[in-house]
Amino acid sequence: MSDSTETLTVDLRDIHKQFYGVKANEGVNFQLRPGEVHALLGENGAGKSTLCSILAGLYRPDAGEMIIEGEPVVFKSPKDALAAGIGMVYQHFRLVPNLTVAENLALGHHNLGVMVDQKDLQRDATQLGERYGLPVDPTARIWQLSVGEQQRVEILKLLYRDAKVLILDEPTAVLTPQESQSLFSTMRQLTDEGRSVIFVSHKLHEVKQVSDRVSVMRQGQMVGEIDTADAEPKDLARMMVGRDLELPTRAEDDSTGQPMLVVRDLRVPGDRGLESVKGVSFEVRSGEVVGVAGVSGNGQRELAYGLVGLRRPTSGSVTLDGVDVTEENVLEHIRQGLAYIPQNRLGMGLSPGLTTEDNLGLKAFREAPYSKGRQLVPAAFKSRGKDLIEQYDIRGVVPGLPIRLLSGGNLQKALLAREVEMQPKILIARSPTRGLDVGATEAVRNSILRERSRGTGVLLMSEDLDELLALSDRLIVLYEGEIVGELTARMATAERLGLLMAGQRDEVAP
Amino acid sequence: MTVRRIIVEPRGLASLRLTLTVPLLSVLAALIIGGIFLWITGDNPLTVYGHMVDAAFGSSRGVSETLISATPLILTGLAAAIAFKMLVWNIGAEGQFLLGAIVAAGIAIAMGDGVPAVLAIPVVIMAGAIGGALWAAVSAVPRVYLGTNEIITTLMLNFIALNLMNYLIFGSNSPWRDPLVSTFPTGRPIPDGASLPRFFNRLDVGIFIAIAVAIFAWYLVNRTRWGFEVRVVGDSAETARYAGIQVPRKILGVFLISGAFAGLAGALFVAGPVGALDPRSLDLGLGFTGIIVAALARLNALAVIPVAILMGALNNAGPSLQSIGVPPEIVTMLQGAILIFAVGGEFFIANRLRRPELPPEVLAGEAAA
Ligand SMILES: Nc1ncnc2c1ncn2[C@@H]1O[C@H](COP(=O)(O)OP(=O)(O)O)[C@@H](O)[C@H]1O
Ligand SMILES: [Mg+2]
Repeated sequence: MSDSTETLTVDLRDIHKQFYGVKANEGVNFQLRPGEVHALLGENGAGKSTLCSILAGLYRPDAGEMIIEGEPVVFKSPKDALAAGIGMVYQHFRLVPNLTVAENLALGHHNLGVMVDQKDLQRDATQLGERYGLPVDPTARIWQLSVGEQQRVEILKLLYRDAKVLILDEPTAVLTPQESQSLFSTMRQLTDEGRSVIFVSHKLHEVKQVSDRVSVMRQGQMVGEIDTADAEPKDLARMMVGRDLELPTRAEDDSTGQPMLVVRDLRVPGDRGLESVKGVSFEVRSGEVVGVAGVSGNGQRELAYGLVGLRRPTSGSVTLDGVDVTEENVLEHIRQGLAYIPQNRLGMGLSPGLTTEDNLGLKAFREAPYSKGRQLVPAAFKSRGKDLIEQYDIRGVVPGLPIRLLSGGNLQKALLAREVEMQPKILIARSPTRGLDVGATEAVRNSILRERSRGTGVLLMSEDLDELLALSDRLIVLYEGEIVGELTARMATAERLGLLMAGQRDEVAP
Repeated sequence: MTVRRIIVEPRGLASLRLTLTVPLLSVLAALIIGGIFLWITGDNPLTVYGHMVDAAFGSSRGVSETLISATPLILTGLAAAIAFKMLVWNIGAEGQFLLGAIVAAGIAIAMGDGVPAVLAIPVVIMAGAIGGALWAAVSAVPRVYLGTNEIITTLMLNFIALNLMNYLIFGSNSPWRDPLVSTFPTGRPIPDGASLPRFFNRLDVGIFIAIAVAIFAWYLVNRTRWGFEVRVVGDSAETARYAGIQVPRKILGVFLISGAFAGLAGALFVAGPVGALDPRSLDLGLGFTGIIVAALARLNALAVIPVAILMGALNNAGPSLQSIGVPPEIVTMLQGAILIFAVGGEFFIANRLRRPELPPEVLAGEAAA
């Protein structure tokens, strides 16, 4: 229990920080006690990363006071923060890909001279890893590691410098559910030793599970701080979004629709020529959502590319509403009514340097009203754009500015608006809510379900099991390029899917 | 404790005024640097600049010569601008320009005097554009289908084109060479029927063709479906593929159009002011100056026109400096300085500096402290 005489580990007072006109932090107060896991909750763009980066010495606040263990401090760089015992694992890792794990641990460590004994380093790394449940191979080079392993190295790097405060910025965004659980037990162990952890997230159930206290941010301001035990998920969500959420509801499955997408024995090559999709067959009917579960890298990307015409299948067939498009190019797939939400929003789904209006016309620009013969009609881009921006509640658009300046949620809303506007017969979506906050997730999921009721066949490929279970009528599981199980919504549970995803074929008949 | 300092941050969108002011300031800064240089070497900068302005714009002859110099620069500037916009690094405008000149002169000479101007002129102009495009194709096709580096291939083809022209005039008795001059070889004069009509001193209709092409290029990129596809490919090739755009075909198209613009410049130059395939008049680095023009115009096709006129004025003023004892190389120096300042100026168009704005209560607290 908090006792008022206890010295706060971190006390941030009235922190202000602007990025060209955007008030990322506006008078934020934040207090961290020794030995606690303190969750920092907020939608994307709420200012969580900014606040953490200020505490970690990466940014300097425009104004405000920072008091660490009772002493006012000014950090000129992350080095100063580390010297004061504060370290951060950024959303985007900062390891040197060509160095080994052990070398990365030593990098920039002030106590080490030029000559470092590799053996000592490796031993230290192994010991530290074992002690905190963060196993890594100290001789592996960073580029050889999975994202989850790289994250462990980042954490070890802080522990190697004996950080007393560890800031983890959305660490679970890149982890599987199992990896997240093991991270949580590491966090517990750290706090048991008297260290403190700031855990940034926008996932309510994680915050509920792992934290002692929660601070909620919204639009650059701190909107509240409570003990986790007293926090109802519904209330946290309301604090975060500023209103009540409409959770998506799926009407019962009637399953009588026409087959819109028929895939027969499809084989698609991977990047290095090896086969990545090894003969899959399934159907998606009008008005149904078929979920595709699987650990990433089991052929999802290649399956999607094969279905949308970005990669030519080696054999098998893809039929869209009765038309065989196996050998056709992307444009022909689009013409047959196929909409696609790729995983990479800015790199593939949207053209980052073009305006929002241009991006909204990116699929339909070949026809009226966007063009007349070979000519473009700029007025149509403007007026159609304005309508869609309003209708789909895309925020932050300044006419004439490139779309890349929008936040992740608004990018996805724009992408979805464009794809849904073409009134597709088939919608293929890959991880459509990944990285989005609750508000945007809600909007995207509702759009998908609206498409379903309109009679579109939806193929939803996702790594988020909750999402798959909430939206799908049927589920198929991909493992090493093959379908290892097919379940109806009623039969599917997270455990069962988890087993299939691990390659254990379903013994229980559905 | 309050921390304040100056912040550099990206601008979302620069205002029109700023996009205009920065290039003008770059030119001014270059003039100041050049002025200091002139002053150190013992010349009065104001006299020299005054002389240059007078040479470039002070007389009807000056104006017409300036526009004559500007004509090929508009086209080589467009050649660079359209290619760079698409991240196609065609630095071969020089060679494509020469090939345009060679093909145009060849066709004009082959047609001889019999063909009427209404037919001969369009044929010669088209031939030049096609010559430039084909020379670009030598780099473009392997770039698109094999992924070769176009910077290297276009650069090498510049030297080949230059040697080809020198061979045709100095090294052989080709039809391009003037058989009547034996002491110092030069090009055979273009027949009158294929020469561009003059209307103002030596100025011919080439300037109108160049301006029309600039407007056409702007329209093509900004107002056609093809141009939209090109802009998407230039911004993100992955996105273009995703949207069903044929990326290789677009890159090839842009590359060939870029070459055609440069080749057209060569055709207008031989059918206009030069009047023959004359290596001494053609080897001026007009293709490379086009890159400076495109950069200063920020790759905007319409802005290429005034920038090319400015560069043309400098080119035109250079030789006249000798009459007052100033080395004409000062012009090359000024052009280089303008490019450097323009590139530096990009930083201020893209970013801005400011002191952090503080909320009133903080400012009040500071005042009290
Ligand atoms: N380096 C930066 N440059 C410009 N804007 C930024 C930068 N970092 C954050 N922002 C803006 O500040 C706001 C808060 O961002 P951030 O702190 O990253 O939020 P969160 O981590 O909660 O998603 C957003 O609107 C974001 O666009
Ligand atoms: Mg963040």
